[in-house]
Amino acid sequence: MAATTKTTGIGAALRRKEDLRLITGRGEFTDDFREAGQLYIYFLRSPHAHARIIKIDATEALALPGVKSVLTGKELLADGIKPLPHHVWALHPADIAMPNVDGSETFMAPHHAIAVDKARHVGEIVAMVVATSVALAKDAAELIHVEYDILPSVTNTWDTVKQDAAVVWDENGSNVCGDVETGSREDTNAAFAKAAHVARIETWVQRVTGVPMEPRAALAVFDEGTGRVTLTAGSGGSVRLKYDLAHMLGMKSEDVRIIMKDVGGNFGTRGMIYAEFCLVGWAARRLKTPVKWTAERSESFQSDYQARDLAVTAELALDKDGKFLAMRGSNIGNAGAHTSNFSPLQKGVEIMTSIYNIPTACFRARPVVSNTLPTRPYRSAGRPEVMFVMERLIDIAAREFGFDRVELRRKNLLHKEDLPFKNPFGMIYDNGDYHAVMEQVLELGDWTGFEARRAEAKARGKLRGIGVANYVDTATGVPRERAEITVRPDGQVDVIIGTISQGQGHETSFAQLATEFLHVPEDKVNIITGDTDVVKVGGGTHSGRGMRLASIVIWKASNEIIAKGKRIAALMAKADPAQVTFEKGHFHAAGQSLSLFDVARAASERNDLPDDLRAPLYAMSDETVNEAAFPYGAHVCEVEIDPALGTVEIARYSTVDDVGRAVNPMIIHGQTHGGIAQGVGQALMEEIVYDRQSGQLMTGSFMDYTMPRADNFPFFDAGFAEIPCTTHPLGIRPAGEGGTTPALGVTMNAVVDALRDFGVTHMDMPATPEKVWRAIHRKA
Amino acid sequence: MYDFSYHRPTSLQDAVSLLAKQPDAKPMSGGMSLLPSMKLRLSKWTDVVDLAAIPDLSGIREEAGHIIIGARTRHVEVATSALLHAKLPALAELAEGIGDPLVRNRGTIGGSIANADPAADYPSSVVALDATIITTRREIAADAFFTGLFETALAHDELITAVRYKIPKRAAYMKFRHPASRYAIVGAFVAQMEGAVRVAITGAGPHVFRIAAYEDALTKTFSSAALDGVTPKLPSLNTDLHASADYRAHAVVEMVRRAVKAAAARKSI
Repeated sequence: MAATTKTTGIGAALRRKEDLRLITGRGEFTDDFREAGQLYIYFLRSPHAHARIIKIDATEALALPGVKSVLTGKELLADGIKPLPHHVWALHPADIAMPNVDGSETFMAPHHAIAVDKARHVGEIVAMVVATSVALAKDAAELIHVEYDILPSVTNTWDTVKQDAAVVWDENGSNVCGDVETGSREDTNAAFAKAAHVARIETWVQRVTGVPMEPRAALAVFDEGTGRVTLTAGSGGSVRLKYDLAHMLGMKSEDVRIIMKDVGGNFGTRGMIYAEFCLVGWAARRLKTPVKWTAERSESFQSDYQARDLAVTAELALDKDGKFLAMRGSNIGNAGAHTSNFSPLQKGVEIMTSIYNIPTACFRARPVVSNTLPTRPYRSAGRPEVMFVMERLIDIAAREFGFDRVELRRKNLLHKEDLPFKNPFGMIYDNGDYHAVMEQVLELGDWTGFEARRAEAKARGKLRGIGVANYVDTATGVPRERAEITVRPDGQVDVIIGTISQGQGHETSFAQLATEFLHVPEDKVNIITGDTDVVKVGGGTHSGRGMRLASIVIWKASNEIIAKGKRIAALMAKADPAQVTFEKGHFHAAGQSLSLFDVARAASERNDLPDDLRAPLYAMSDETVNEAAFPYGAHVCEVEIDPALGTVEIARYSTVDDVGRAVNPMIIHGQTHGGIAQGVGQALMEEIVYDRQSGQLMTGSFMDYTMPRADNFPFFDAGFAEIPCTTHPLGIRPAGEGGTTPALGVTMNAVVDALRDFGVTHMDMPATPEKVWRAIHRKA
Repeated sequence: MYDFSYHRPTSLQDAVSLLAKQPDAKPMSGGMSLLPSMKLRLSKWTDVVDLAAIPDLSGIREEAGHIIIGARTRHVEVATSALLHAKLPALAELAEGIGDPLVRNRGTIGGSIANADPAADYPSSVVALDATIITTRREIAADAFFTGLFETALAHDELITAVRYKIPKRAAYMKFRHPASRYAIVGAFVAQMEGAVRVAITGAGPHVFRIAAYEDALTKTFSSAALDGVTPKLPSLNTDLHASADYRAHAVVEMVRRAVKAAAARKSI
């Protein structure tokens, strides 16, 4: 941890303002809201992975007293409810375009909120029941008779592209929705032809699910008088949800209001509108009654967007000295049953070469559909997958061709003088010192002392292994953000911002920004988010954009507050505005010292001010930031394996992430710790399993889906570097995803290293006890 | 959860007659397995007979060289019993490893044994310690009690009132936890009794089972080295996403070994 003695503003490790409220049960999550007379919704979901819906008979269900409505795809279409407005590719100008090789359009199919013709995954909504209680709605759902024609299904990613695979969308004729080539095939093949060594990997980065602590919920109210729909729900941002919901319901955006208070986790999988949100709004409008839906955990497993699921074959060409010459391969991204989001594929393939100096590369990228839950960006979408591939390839090359793993990285890592650097796919990395950061984490993780620890573990009958991994993250996301600041005469500063905290601690860290710029104590700063009647513009929280963009607009709005304040102070003190200074929260003008709040009061009380200074003391900054950021860092992981049972213990874990400028070091460390748990969770434990034959979801609860827990981890040695980011006016780099991005690769490098004496050169994730045990005992 | 009638009898007789009247009535002790399965609509009962108001069903005492534990004694009480820590620490440790604090504060020994979950911990102690299940009708020997997956020798209207444990010279329970559920993939309870060693395995098969070859070897010499070269005959074992049958078979061997080591390290009582 960087030494900091600051107690306020940027750099202070302040305790989170929101925590007392949250840990004493005073949070306001969606399910905490209720409306008089609200009805309850239960969704009947498909038990089949792939089935044509022949007939739905709800007669018996509707006959139950208290059952108000049963709605199916038929009513959905009749009411003109539009399909989910997915944005399939990331459209930020810094991200690469993904045109098909043959010039055809990417295949896209309508994703209806209720299955209309076919159910395409287990858990897809087939009917919505509205009743006076949840239990009654469930009873009614059991009385709905659905006649299915069960079809062959496909869930496994490698299987989707096979000739004989079941086809999810008949309209496309195959499951492949696009076929993209990035980089230069000619140069890459030429480089491979000259290579002394070629390292190869074929791996599947398995599917996981996001598991926010708060299951999704929604409460919708229709106001007959105004014709407005108000939806209370948690998501990645409220403004986009407002537009998306209005679109689906065929309403004007001003007729939709979103209220989003506390949100218990997002990680990206919660970042988009969901079918349920639209259906709850539709039901409220149709029945003219408030309606409520709250997912149970088992429902979350079969309805939350899932994540990762990338099948990769890749090769790395090296010269005889270990210099990387080129990289090539093919990525297949499993989007699930709907053509909803291909951006993890895109955001991975554009940085396959990571921060190594690889002159040329070429990758094929194919988004595919399957009879599984749709996937979405999840904690550093696409990047942990490809960093895993790169870092594993380097260890494979080192082992196979006799190089030292660290030396191989030192030889090929980009130097600070090489930056900015355009990678073979066209991404331009900003600045940093990749070598210094890797050396820092090797020191922190005591790389040189490892062999002694390995020997000590061996004496105890344990297998100890170590790994190192570098990473780079592409932070793009929605480029526009807005902050509105009002200085209130009563001594409070209100900051309206278009992001949403789902646990990131914005109430504290964003307040620290206002404190830094306006010299107002953090506890006088109110961060206001989430109600679209108040927040008009904002891109939400994702893609490392929360602090990155909020800091810019809060800074610019603060500067405007100070500029306005100087003019008001000048009028108050009868001084020349150019002579007014602002220091430590006070304007100094003609010998007078006026506080920010004195000036705010004057602005609201005086009637001799020019029009643009009349009350309240307010400023707005609305910025579109088209530059990407490239946070990077390095992790070292050390594991200890019990060969008798194959269990893997994380013995040490060290991180150095370059955050540019740490706004709240404690919050950053907290996000890093959580990120590591998500990354190590994928490496060692988590996996969404579908039965390859029937397409059934086998991991439908915490009984089968292994969530990492606190006792799976040691205390982390989390450090960071603060090399100011040159593409951010305040030098800040995103810090929220660094914990996860290299964690998959570094953990598996450590596991494979621990198993080196057993002929193990690679293992697909997750490294479960049985898989490790089989590797040790050379069992298939 | 489906609708059901809730009963809270204050005597064993009333409880038994309520059960006798309804073929789809279910007794509930702590409810830590029953309630989740009902909430998930995985089980449906016309009547739930809550045993919580029946007096004198809980407590741990020593009597005539045995430990007697009332059926409604909660896991937390077993885990923290000074008597058990002195006389049968392996059982207290087993209870301490069940579920989480919430489950241990409500779940009971009788409920767990009657439920006979193949991955539950207590059944291994019952069999390894050659315990006797005392019911409203009779006494049932441990070896005759667990008859199948979630199946026991109990009649529909028969309730466990207590478990009578023999006190071993030494014993230990070692659990290899399922990474997701943290139930036992394999739980091995090894007890050196007067005259013989008993080895009971939970989690691995459809119900708890003993391993005769290991018992014979350990009866001769109570050390993990005595297991070397002994090939146990195991029943057909469970397979799930996290542990195949052959991995479980290997884990059985390993966990018995660890339990023997742990027990051998204890002072003999």
